[in-house]
Amino acid sequence: MSRLKVNGRSYSVNAAPDTPLLWVLREDLRLTGTKFGCGRGHCGCCTVHLNGEAMRSCQIRLGDVEGEIITTIEGLDARSDHPLQRAWVKEQVAQCGYCQSGQIMQAAALLADNPKPTDEEIITAMKFNLCRCMTYPRIKKAIQRASREIRNRNE
Amino acid sequence: MNKLFNRFLTSSRRQFLISSVAGSTTILFGMSSAHAVGRQVINLLNPSSPLVVPPNFHPTIWFTMEVNGRTTVHILKTEMGQHIGTTLAQIVAEELELAWEWVRIDYPEMTAEAQAAYGIQITGGSYSTHEMFDRLARSAAAARELIVETGAKLLDAETADCMARRSTVVDTVSENQITYSEILSSTAIEYKITEDDLSEVKLKPRENYKIIGRSMPALDIPEKINGKARFGIDAYVPNMVYGKIVPAPTRVGSTIKGIDDSAAKKIDGYITTLPLNFPIAVKTNAIPTALVIAENYPAAMRAANLVKVDWEVSGTSKISSQDILTEAKKLLTNRSKGLAFVRDGNIDRAKQDANQTLDASYITGLVAHASLEPQSALVQNVDGIWNVFAGCQAGHVVRLILSNFLKTTPDKIVVHPHYVGGGFGSRVYPMPIVLAAVAAQTLNRPVKVIFNREDDMGLEDPRTTTLQHLTALLSGNGNVIGLKHDVVAGWIGFELVNIPAVDNKGKIEALSYSGADHWYDIPNQHVTAFRNEFLESVMPLGAVRSVSNNYTVFAIESFLDEIAHNLKKDPLSVRLELLSGRGKNAGASPSKLYKHKFPLFFGIPGPAWKKWKFWPTYHASANVAGAKRLANVLRISTGHAGYGTRLLRKDTAHGIAVTAAEERGMPSFCACTAEVHVNRSSGEVFVRKLTVAIDVGLAVNPDGIRAQVEGSLLWGVSNSLFEELTVKNGKFVQNNFDKYSWQTMDNLPELDIQIVENGLYPCGVGEPATSVVGAAVANGIFNAVGIRIRKLPIRREDVLQALKA
Ligand code: FES
Ligand code: FES
Repeated sequence: MSRLKVNGRSYSVNAAPDTPLLWVLREDLRLTGTKFGCGRGHCGCCTVHLNGEAMRSCQIRLGDVEGEIITTIEGLDARSDHPLQRAWVKEQVAQCGYCQSGQIMQAAALLADNPKPTDEEIITAMKFNLCRCMTYPRIKKAIQRASREIRNRNE
Repeated sequence: MNKLFNRFLTSSRRQFLISSVAGSTTILFGMSSAHAVGRQVINLLNPSSPLVVPPNFHPTIWFTMEVNGRTTVHILKTEMGQHIGTTLAQIVAEELELAWEWVRIDYPEMTAEAQAAYGIQITGGSYSTHEMFDRLARSAAAARELIVETGAKLLDAETADCMARRSTVVDTVSENQITYSEILSSTAIEYKITEDDLSEVKLKPRENYKIIGRSMPALDIPEKINGKARFGIDAYVPNMVYGKIVPAPTRVGSTIKGIDDSAAKKIDGYITTLPLNFPIAVKTNAIPTALVIAENYPAAMRAANLVKVDWEVSGTSKISSQDILTEAKKLLTNRSKGLAFVRDGNIDRAKQDANQTLDASYITGLVAHASLEPQSALVQNVDGIWNVFAGCQAGHVVRLILSNFLKTTPDKIVVHPHYVGGGFGSRVYPMPIVLAAVAAQTLNRPVKVIFNREDDMGLEDPRTTTLQHLTALLSGNGNVIGLKHDVVAGWIGFELVNIPAVDNKGKIEALSYSGADHWYDIPNQHVTAFRNEFLESVMPLGAVRSVSNNYTVFAIESFLDEIAHNLKKDPLSVRLELLSGRGKNAGASPSKLYKHKFPLFFGIPGPAWKKWKFWPTYHASANVAGAKRLANVLRISTGHAGYGTRLLRKDTAHGIAVTAAEERGMPSFCACTAEVHVNRSSGEVFVRKLTVAIDVGLAVNPDGIRAQVEGSLLWGVSNSLFEELTVKNGKFVQNNFDKYSWQTMDNLPELDIQIVENGLYPCGVGEPATSVVGAAVANGIFNAVGIRIRKLPIRREDVLQALKA
């Protein structure tokens, strides 16, 4: 039995300690918003927050994250109303949508760290999150939009 | 009452039944036999007076109008990122005069009944909007007429005085109004729209459109930002077990001799390994596979690493990419297997008349779909019905294929649609569904098969490699009087849609050569199709975004620049001269509406297809004005980009290309001006900007179109600069995204997209722009640094080598 803290809730999970967190989230907790794309850290669609940092859940073992604070797309905002989620709708970013949980989680960690990223900083943070539908231009715009909104709010 | 009756009968050519739902009076109109249309329930507050719940109004299979005012449009297409539901709902909402906030969509299950009613549901070829537009518009308009007539009756007004507006019927004389919801709560309309209604109905004039032409936010996006969207891979039923394959040593042909799972037995949750040596090794369906079954997916993955499979390895195990190219070259040298795809004019006479000939060969590599969602499927048997939970682009075809494997009939199979995490043609191939179904039947439990990335890429059905040779016959005064184009391509295998060769000697898979039948007015033309069967023996090939256009357009559009440079003319003026729209390139008559013969495009395996209904109404006016529209978008694209006028940096230039994908019957006329920079020391190519104009006929949702064109263009860039699958020892070398790399957010070109409409009839946009990029980039490279790259993808090694030469 491993104890996990996900989206503010505690779970005990009966899975081997070397099980990738991705599959624990998807299969044991049925939080399927976190996606499986490559299983090797190449694509980013499994991105979650571990203590606020964007991490590839396919590369994290269950045994290593007991007691840590994990946030998935489902827990990013209780009402799905994070500035990034609003910006994502405004810019109509998603096509197939499969990469988008990971994109949003990656972007959320970026903005939490750096609310006013430059174009270059956005690219540096996001370029390992692949999107096969190639929604990159809109992802960029949506991050800029959310960044503007967060700054306006804080001013 | 009689007066009312007469008025209705004369005001409407239809006979339909309207009944009051209050229960006390029923008015019958027309000759329909009377029967109860409302559902009687007991009013608990007053048991002596039964309440009648009015039924929904369901005049056609395409939508249902509910008494609460909502209309649900039934989407028979697979949602895979194109937001097709939103587009189709807009068409219905427009003609039915719905308030947009009252519109919903759903994706009906694919059952035998649905198939009988809806026909085959295939999502592909960029056909959806084109295929559905007319039918949906007409069905909605016919329903609007019914609602207006009924509303007029309830308002005690003349139908002619009434109109529909925002889900309300308004009497323009008295200004009384009644909402659709009120109409349907007090009246049950029982009527099924007929084919006659559809052909006679009056559609709205374009200038009155309020919803078509507006960028309605996609209805599927809100659930794609919070993890709620359900993809095939998210499907779950209680008690299911998981399947993970042990891949074969070659892409095709290996069979299982034995399995040793003794090491896997110590894995907690391991159940068994099924040797699935399929007797029906039908290409694109399923190949022999060992399927490891466990209680959960991690256990299945662990066990799969420990299961030893003894394979009988096939003869393809020695074959590599180079062999495939060698075989392609042999076909061109030998020539005996060439099939006549286009034969215009008299090429031999042109040869005699020609002052000069110009030759070039082009090569394109294998391209993977690489959808981000790996393939998966869950199959569960409930009371003899096989339930398939998977994202697929051709659900009813899956039902047919699966019935063979399960030894049952298609009516026992139900496909539950799911979102697809990137289609691009990949979800036509149902291998995981077959595996899950056969395993579920064997084990008597629901089975969910998930391919990991290595499985998914190892079982790719990629876009064919091609070898193409072009010969131009040029006259003394600098005209192109003849063009010969040989295309060697592997076929996808939609056999039933093959077309006869021009000389009737053999059949051609048109899908694999589309684009070679271009829109340039060249009097003498030969396109000869060669089939690369050797390649097909090494792997099944697939339809990959924009299919053959990617390679045919790359070759033709590169070659046109070569011709122009040879003639010392500007590539733009050469194209504009040739896009004069004469003869077959004038396009169809704008007034002609015809029903296409099935099957136009997709084949259904076996003779069973004849029993399957398929009724897209293809509108010939999709290609009205033909080549002139291609010239028009070319002028717009080059004009916008400042082609020939803008000062560009060193080693940077514009390259142009056009495409009319997906095919001559449904062309989205598209032109691209690419600003390309070449780094002379590294050989790297940077696409800085793509200025694109695309004539889609009619833009239902402009922002949705823009999104598809953005995606297509970046796909084109990615295909042109990065992507290639190679083969070694009968299997693909690249099995994950580290080795198969593609476009990221880094080095994105700026995109300037102009949507053009001729206003006649919509064409698809999910794919076409993909095919315009390769040649525009190659032409830009030539204009920037003077080297001609005749190979896709454009590798920096090749660029460097050419720069040195
Ligand atoms: S699935 Fe984790 S990075 Fe791709
Ligand atoms: S939206 Fe499809 S992979 Fe990103």
